[in-house]
Amino acid sequence: MKTNNIFRHKILLLAVASFAFALPGRAQLFPNTYMNIDWQMNVPLGDAYADKTSGWGMNFEGGYFITPEFSLGAFISYQTNIQSIDRQTLQLPDGSSLTTAQKHTLFELPFGVAGRYNFMKHRVFQPYVGMRLGADYAEMSSYYYTIQQYEDSWGVYLSPEIGASIFPSPDQRFGFHVALFYSYASNSDRLLIYSMDGISRFGLRVGISF
Amino acid sequence: MTAKNLLMSLLSMLAVTVVSCQKEPSTSGLHEDFLVYTDYDRQTDFSDIEIFYLPDSILLIGNSDQTEYWKDADAQEIIGTVAEQMEARNFIRTDDKTAAQVGLQLSYVEQVTYFVGYDYPYWWWYYPYYWAPGYWGDWFGWHYPYQVYYGYTAGSMLIEMVDLTAEQESRKLPVIWDSYIGGLLTSSQEINMQRTLNAVDQAFAQSPYLITDSLIR
Repeated sequence: MKTNNIFRHKILLLAVASFAFALPGRAQLFPNTYMNIDWQMNVPLGDAYADKTSGWGMNFEGGYFITPEFSLGAFISYQTNIQSIDRQTLQLPDGSSLTTAQKHTLFELPFGVAGRYNFMKHRVFQPYVGMRLGADYAEMSSYYYTIQQYEDSWGVYLSPEIGASIFPSPDQRFGFHVALFYSYASNSDRLLIYSMDGISRFGLRVGISF
Repeated sequence: MTAKNLLMSLLSMLAVTVVSCQKEPSTSGLHEDFLVYTDYDRQTDFSDIEIFYLPDSILLIGNSDQTEYWKDADAQEIIGTVAEQMEARNFIRTDDKTAAQVGLQLSYVEQVTYFVGYDYPYWWWYYPYYWAPGYWGDWFGWHYPYQVYYGYTAGSMLIEMVDLTAEQESRKLPVIWDSYIGGLLTSSQEINMQRTLNAVDQAFAQSPYLITDSLIR
């Protein structure tokens, strides 16, 4: 059974944040670039495998301003949704039967390219509309008794978003980032008696921008 | 630190963070009750079976280097529950092992963790204190006609039905129904016992194919 050390995870995030907050003196590492580091929450839509809203997610994105308005970059994000399943008897596809309580998790890790069209550059409040396109790795797991049973899959990822960078001092380009997004991934998989045909989410990102 | 080094540091930390990013759920609530898994041989017609034999002991799987059996009043209550469930499905119990068509063997895992997989059908040979195939006759090993994947952990019970009418050419005794019950180990002996009895009932409840019409033949 796989385990994660959550404390070590928090230390790493703290280290990333510490570096980021040390940046204002030279906020823009490279000319005409941007970077976002966000906390991410999402609401699963439709008939989701693990259908509870979750704040277990992060987002990382960086890009280059091809023109003053248009930027192109790369992103990677991840999130885990968790759902408790009451004790029940499952008639498994192979004919066997299983009576147990479960915890379902759906872990999703999309990455790819991100394009943005930015408005009101050089202002404190700089809104944008964006689109992400890439690949999506997903792992659907069922935890029961002392067992984790899981299946993983790959799919195509598509995610439009609207957001804004907020720079208290626009010349420094160090501030905050907020975005709303919808995402769809084409991952399809089966586990025990459950099936997944696509992953749809609505979500919110809040973080830092530089 | 140059901007390039700083960026590389950030990217390195990002990579480590993403790799260790999956959140695992709390599993403490999953041990509040028992688990029951059952499987069976699809080629067996259980309605053709009439007579079963059930030993008066439960084999204990632990760290002892001696074969141990559980025979006290609690064991008899568990064995009695299995017998009642079989008889409720019209199977007839016999005291004559040689007259039985199927045998039922009960095992309780006390301390150890083992894994049985279809890829390792001779696991039983590695554990000499399990039910010896020879207990049931001129058998030399075990055989599962279906895939078997489960772990044995402390506080687990196995109920297995073996086909004593099978051809002995291979000398491997077929296990035609098995039930794995987990989660029977709490700090309360009373709870453990009640869970065990409930789990035995559940094992039969989720095996509706385990029924015969022997009484009306």
